[in-house]
Amino acid sequence: MPVITVSGKSVHIQELNKGAAETIVLVHGMFSNLSVYYFNIAPLLATKYHVVLYDLKSHGMSEKALEGYDLESMTNDLFALMEILNIKQAHLGGYSFGGLIALKMAIRFPERINKLAIIEAPDPNDDKTRGIIDEYSREFLEHYVENFTDTTKVKMGKRQMERNHRMYEYLFYQTSIKTDMELEKDFFGSPAIATIKQATLLLYGTDSNCLNAGKYLDGLIENASLIAVLGDHNIPIQQPLVIAETLLNFFQET
Amino acid sequence: MDSITTKKLSSEEIFDLMKKFITEVIGEEFVEEMDITPESSFTKDLEMDSIEIVSFSEKIKAHFGEQIDFTGWLSSMDLDQLINLNLGMIISYIEECQS
Repeated sequence: MPVITVSGKSVHIQELNKGAAETIVLVHGMFSNLSVYYFNIAPLLATKYHVVLYDLKSHGMSEKALEGYDLESMTNDLFALMEILNIKQAHLGGYSFGGLIALKMAIRFPERINKLAIIEAPDPNDDKTRGIIDEYSREFLEHYVENFTDTTKVKMGKRQMERNHRMYEYLFYQTSIKTDMELEKDFFGSPAIATIKQATLLLYGTDSNCLNAGKYLDGLIENASLIAVLGDHNIPIQQPLVIAETLLNFFQET
Repeated sequence: MDSITTKKLSSEEIFDLMKKFITEVIGEEFVEEMDITPESSFTKDLEMDSIEIVSFSEKIKAHFGEQIDFTGWLSSMDLDQLINLNLGMIISYIEECQS
């Protein structure tokens, strides 16, 4: 398992097609891990590009961290990762919370980011987004799993449930994630978003609670285009090939 | 660390190797409670989650190297096929690649 040290912490990364001329870095969402891209999306993109996936801190196989979940810290981590991998410029894609990290990256380090693909990034001020963090409980997880499994068809077993529950408990009760996210609630209101000049693809689910966030970003980012894909917030799991092909077309467009 | 091997393995040897990888990924204490057979599915029977399947895939890639394109093979599957993936299917795939 490829693990590198970034800012003193172990980070699980996966690289595909290292020899390609251009690089795509993909960022997963909160409570998820790089596997959201690993099986379908990354292999297709890797037919043309060097693809880098990594697990965010305390997620997947990366080392736990008590703090640093605000977008400034998360983009510091990504910048440091790019430095270590000697990636001077990359296309960047992010899903859900990873989409917020990708937007912040384009704002802070525009010279390092080529094209930008934002999948289902939520408005951090949206009640439903913050509600997930505020109202967490074991019942919530079980309810979430019940509903989540309707759309993904994967039934979580007892061991998986315990594993996920431990991760949620750690993130919610031991780390600064809740307060760090609270501090980001005005992110979409920041004038900095309108400074993004990169060609930006916004991919949202037709039935997603986050679709309005996509429309909002579409109106704010000068060089953006919004594509609605059949599905809800889980479109990378529901429609991996559609997402992969749409991303590949976008990154290849001249 | 598993080294890349070019030795042709029988289906029993592949099965034993897969069991070893699964034990390394999910831990001996869980494997002891399971009856792992070629019919065991990864998500339903072995209760492996996606990041554990990533680790398992990495072990296969590290062991067989260029001989097989395991990720490429997985990427050709849709969600239903991935969910129903069992050990026997992987054994057959590896055998095919070796022949």
